[in-house]
Amino acid sequence: MQKLVSFVIDFWSYAFKGGPKYYSWLLFLSVFILVGLYTTYLQLTEGLILIGATDQITWELYISNFIFTAHVAAAAVLVVIPAYMYKRKDMKDLAVLGEIIALGFVTTGMVLVVYHVGRPDRLWHMIPSLGYFNFPNSMLTFDVVVLTVYMILNLIAAYYLFYKRYVGEPLNKIFYTPLIYVAVAWGPLIHIITAAVLSSNARMHAWSTAVLPFAFLSMAGASGPAVIIIIFLIIRKYTKLQIADSVIDLLSQIILWSLGILMLVFAAEFFTALYPSTEHAASLKYSMFGHNGLNAYVPWFWSIMILIAGSFIALLNPKIRKSYDRFLPAVCAVIFLVILLEKPYFLVFPAFSPSPLGEYTVYYPTFVEVSNVLFCWAYGFLVLTLTLKGAIGILTGEVTYTNRVPVSKEAAYAISP
Amino acid sequence: MFEMNFRSKFSKMVFFVLCCFLIGGVFAYRSAYSAKAEPAKTQSAQPVTNCFESRVGYTSVERVENAVPEYGYPNVKCSQRTGKVVWWGDPYDGTIPMGEMPAINDATKGDFAQAVVKPREPHLAYFNMDPVRHCAVCHDGKTVPFSKNKKPRTLAMHQDIVEDSLQLKHGRGAIWCLDCHSATNRNKLIDHQGNEISFNQPQKLCGGCHGAVYIDWRAGIHGKRIGSWVTGGKKRWWVCTECHNPHTVQTASYDPIVPEPAPALPRGMKNADHERSEHVAHKK
Amino acid sequence: MSDETKERETGDVDEARRDLLKHMGIASMAGAVALTAGSADAEAAVFQEWFQSHYELMSEEEKQECIERLETRYTEEYGKKTTVSNAPALKDVLFGYALDIQKCIGCRTCVHACVKENNQTRYDPEIQWIKVLKMEKGNFSFSEEKLDKGYPETDRLGNFGIQVGGNAYSPVGVSGETERYYEPEKVPEKDSFYFPVQCQQCEKPPCVKACPVRATFREPNGVVVIDYNWCIGCRMCQLACPYEARRFNWGEPNLPPEDMNPKTHYYGNRPRMMGVMEKCTFCLQRTREGRAPACLEACPVGARKFGNLLDPESDVRKILATKKVFRFKEDLNTYPKFFYFMG
Repeated sequence: MQKLVSFVIDFWSYAFKGGPKYYSWLLFLSVFILVGLYTTYLQLTEGLILIGATDQITWELYISNFIFTAHVAAAAVLVVIPAYMYKRKDMKDLAVLGEIIALGFVTTGMVLVVYHVGRPDRLWHMIPSLGYFNFPNSMLTFDVVVLTVYMILNLIAAYYLFYKRYVGEPLNKIFYTPLIYVAVAWGPLIHIITAAVLSSNARMHAWSTAVLPFAFLSMAGASGPAVIIIIFLIIRKYTKLQIADSVIDLLSQIILWSLGILMLVFAAEFFTALYPSTEHAASLKYSMFGHNGLNAYVPWFWSIMILIAGSFIALLNPKIRKSYDRFLPAVCAVIFLVILLEKPYFLVFPAFSPSPLGEYTVYYPTFVEVSNVLFCWAYGFLVLTLTLKGAIGILTGEVTYTNRVPVSKEAAYAISP
Repeated sequence: MFEMNFRSKFSKMVFFVLCCFLIGGVFAYRSAYSAKAEPAKTQSAQPVTNCFESRVGYTSVERVENAVPEYGYPNVKCSQRTGKVVWWGDPYDGTIPMGEMPAINDATKGDFAQAVVKPREPHLAYFNMDPVRHCAVCHDGKTVPFSKNKKPRTLAMHQDIVEDSLQLKHGRGAIWCLDCHSATNRNKLIDHQGNEISFNQPQKLCGGCHGAVYIDWRAGIHGKRIGSWVTGGKKRWWVCTECHNPHTVQTASYDPIVPEPAPALPRGMKNADHERSEHVAHKK
Repeated sequence: MSDETKERETGDVDEARRDLLKHMGIASMAGAVALTAGSADAEAAVFQEWFQSHYELMSEEEKQECIERLETRYTEEYGKKTTVSNAPALKDVLFGYALDIQKCIGCRTCVHACVKENNQTRYDPEIQWIKVLKMEKGNFSFSEEKLDKGYPETDRLGNFGIQVGGNAYSPVGVSGETERYYEPEKVPEKDSFYFPVQCQQCEKPPCVKACPVRATFREPNGVVVIDYNWCIGCRMCQLACPYEARRFNWGEPNLPPEDMNPKTHYYGNRPRMMGVMEKCTFCLQRTREGRAPACLEACPVGARKFGNLLDPESDVRKILATKKVFRFKEDLNTYPKFFYFMG
């Protein structure tokens, strides 16, 4: 028990220590959190009328960003797979960082879903014994189950490893290895379920396509490693944790392949829609060409597609893939932003037009909505930063039970039972 | 020296960030409240009290508050824009039993014991205010002689109802005034066999020629009925002339009316011009 | 044990919140009821209302208590005596609706009658359960110059390609385009058709399948109802509905007391709260007592018919037997009980 308490204390006190750049990053995030707290209060009291959603376009920036966080959370297993299934020595220590990133993004996603719901005070209605859980009819219940399980899996997997490292004991492989394999399989599963939540709606012609899980997984394969590369490059630069070049190379290869598959998926979708050019293609044409003067989404569509193709072509060049200081992080940042913005401005908002009754609308996000989204991201990045910092402390061996901060005997006995 | 730089750099950053927070907070407050639309004018302006039920100028109803005391309902609620009755608190207000309805075939069988209509005969007083003799005040055979035959001729009177009797808009010349109005008793309608028909039951007259529609009307498919949905339940029926003006049916079977207001635009959309396109090729 | 502690102490907000709610719920359910049982205090009533379970899972006493709480709350809020009916579904009745699109003139009286009857929020947001769509007759863009212009363009075979009316570049007819914000001087306008749409009360409702808490479900008379106190506002049902029938209370409803209809039903027209879904219920509060829905009574041309599909003598059955009837978006296999016909 005492070891556990000191683990927690050491882990988190290491997490909060850092240089001026670290603190300015935390402070930067805190600004969004503080402003977001106020706008959250506004949304909780005045309701969702403060955001841009309407009966015509019922999904807002929250869900669009949630789908993106599910991308990254699912893709974080791409760091775990090489370490455990391919037994790559250079990624051995980094698998747990992947789990931490998955955890951070899943948490962000779940918080975003709470913002999406009109009555968060009634979420207890979903708890099986207290309320009524409409499983297995409703796809949303599947999503709740898989996300919760994924979060628990990653929590256990990551913190178990940290604790064992901290106290210097070996892992119980019989318990740990199956857990890792389940977590690895679960990652893509959460994303397939998320795609099913969208594709199960026959009325959304843009989403009612068999290709949606593949589109999602390939976007996950592109955006997830992009985020991870940026994080690893930052860790490499500012901490003592060693990350070999081969790790970065593997991740950029994964991005390249994923972008290729993504372009194929898009090409298939566009062809199937546009060749016969039926009314089923109406929302794609709205994205591409606008409708009767409503052109809001046209520039987004073309920029997104051009940037995806451009990133693919850029990554084909090994010089860019090897340019760890300049071009690679830039391309990864572009991929991150493009896929992030593709969610609301191509996947979600244009898909609602034309509505089932033939109405075309444009979505206008409000300040409260954007501020709340930034709050969720800031919260997620804050949790991620702190956890990664603590993780690095454990992994580099700086934070161990033998090096622990001495605690007075009285205080120690006061905490432990 | 490193500490000095760190402190001044750090404190500058803190100050800058706090300023951002302050400004951001102000913007958040103001933008959040401007994100809400202005409360529109509610419909609780003074309710319309004189409303029409079917055709403008045909029947009118005065709104009576608390006509159904159990729920505090007025007898009718009317449209602010058009004055049309939109909702009945008491659907049977002012009605009388419909009376016997001639059956035609199996399709028109049914239980109509509880059918009620709004009587039209009291409105005959409109023309000359005589509550008893109505039209017979003038059409008594002496002041205005009874017609000998039903040959169409120009009429000197009633041009506010039918501008030119030779151009009656019902049947393209095949029907003339006295084909429906009794020549000897203007308080009644008359069918082709000479039977007098009350103005409360125009269906007996109209159904003689418009049989297919009459069958549908009796079955409840054509026309309007309010009240109970239960088969054999009490319903108020709209009779033919409540919807159709028999003097202008050729121009429009049902006269165009002013529509109720359109729904509110979705938030952020300035107008609905995008839906008013000419339906030519989808202009790219 | 250690895992649980780890969960608590890693500062994971969601997990802690969920645990808190669970423990709070279990521990304080009994306590809350004990504390507030029999109390007519408004605040206690709100507290109890938050804890109430799904209406269909309540016992008779709980239902009664729930109804009384609501009646007290509405009466206080709107200043007029409000009744919340508990009338159960009728026996041997399956409601069906028939709408004569030959007759509809697009006057929107039904839309406004529905609003007068069903206590929707009037502004911020404005909710109307019925939408009337206007469709214009197709544009005939025949032209002699285009008669032999094929698509794709001329090739060795000559100017023969795919011709659609004029040609494929100027298609004839209209599809997928409707207007709903029309404001002409008079209706019906020339060359226009009107098509009112409201909840079709499907027999295989996509919304019921999508709801994660079964707040919306099909009751025995065939009407798809919503338990407004159970709905969590996730809007999955709104996403699933192919008829755009469902409306969401984005903000606190704004219903002026003088416009409020005090005769309500638990599943029907009782005033809703912020963050819950609502939609047409075939005027449950009226139809369960034998009265026709408000939209039917309002229609000035008698285009709307309503009745019991299990009664062969009802209007709707007669229409199904004698008229040309179709269902909207039949290909989605939702089996609606709202029939459109040409009379």
